[in-house]
Amino acid sequence: GKAGAKGGAKVVIEPHRHQGVFIARGKEDMLCTKNLVPGESVYGEKRISVDNADGTKTEYRVWNPFRSKIAAGILGGLDNIHIVPGAKVLYLGAASGTSVSHVADIVGPTGLVYAVEFSHRPGRELINMAKKRTNVIPIIEDARHPHKYRMLVGMVDVIFADVAQPDQARIITMNAHLFLKNEGHIVISIKANCIDSTVEAPTVFAREVKKLQEDQVKPQEQLTLEPYERDHAIVVGQYRAPKKSKSA
Amino acid sequence: EGYTSFVLVELATGYTLFERISSEEIGQNLEDVQKSITDFSRFQKIIKLKSFAPFRSAAHALENAMDVSEGIMNAHLKAFLELNLAKAGKKQKVILGVGEATLGGAIKEGLGYDCQVNDVFRELIRGIRMHSEKLLSQLKEGDLSRAQLGLGHAYSRSKVKFNVNRVDNMIT
Repeated sequence: GKAGAKGGAKVVIEPHRHQGVFIARGKEDMLCTKNLVPGESVYGEKRISVDNADGTKTEYRVWNPFRSKIAAGILGGLDNIHIVPGAKVLYLGAASGTSVSHVADIVGPTGLVYAVEFSHRPGRELINMAKKRTNVIPIIEDARHPHKYRMLVGMVDVIFADVAQPDQARIITMNAHLFLKNEGHIVISIKANCIDSTVEAPTVFAREVKKLQEDQVKPQEQLTLEPYERDHAIVVGQYRAPKKSKSA
Repeated sequence: EGYTSFVLVELATGYTLFERISSEEIGQNLEDVQKSITDFSRFQKIIKLKSFAPFRSAAHALENAMDVSEGIMNAHLKAFLELNLAKAGKKQKVILGVGEATLGGAIKEGLGYDCQVNDVFRELIRGIRMHSEKLLSQLKEGDLSRAQLGLGHAYSRSKVKFNVNRVDNMIT
């Protein structure tokens, strides 16, 4: 397909507060990432090509907050997503890899994304996406059994999880105990009714945060994803956070 | 006294065996070990490379990754352990720290070693994974992630391929 937002449309790209994320300022502002594989879209998203002063071109891909919880979290004003250029990310619940492809754009060629997905149908698409993005390592395996893929994963700076399972807190901390560096971060998307549909969303979020706390994760931020998702929250926390001295 | 303890760590590049050495500076308790893993110079004082057996080919790596994933001690892993550890039942007892209990059970059954899965070994394995490229002089920077990339694709392709008849693996 041809790149969108072209044809004389005046678009200016500005770096976002979050490293590796950009905003395209045009008729309406759009979140985007720098395309790691210029010339191609991953899932039909629009691309924006910009002429640089030295005559080269840089291509960006538009990142839709209605299709990606990380994008929704950024637009919602998360302080820190911890997914930065050069970072190693363990991504649980990678699905077909649409969001993963943007994370791969952000971490860039010096970073790595270990993308875990158990369902085979989206898994096939994930594998295909990773063929072109060589900083993505596809792992078709159950995130509930991180031991099964321990040979494929190194120590990471961040775990992002979008697993939508009732026991997701446990899934995340099990993975953290094996693969997350001391003082590394977790960023998780919580869909309230996937955990417990009988109580109010804020109650579910509070319970999940408590479970994480009990397993060495110190919560740092919580944000609901309105208007992009209903009854969803993103929680950011630090694993084995340095202890503050008691006198402080 | 009377025993030596080792840690088995399976990497995308091959099997590694480390000897746990005692250190005056870093105690044997969990908190000390936990703190030491972030600092390579400290971590080096409690762990020493015994042996590293690189996989012979991509196919060899895949075969081993599939077996490790299922907790199976295959002939290659068995030979690696036998070559590097004293026979069980000898005067000097061998304790082998492993990352996962099923594989530990298979090793114990096949070779008789006292295989242990506990917090201290888990921590040592985290440290070894963290510093593997520095601990294994044969590895250059980037070798491990390149091996993970190749193995990740091969492993995932085989998982998807062996399930062609199933509509999907739904998580319920």
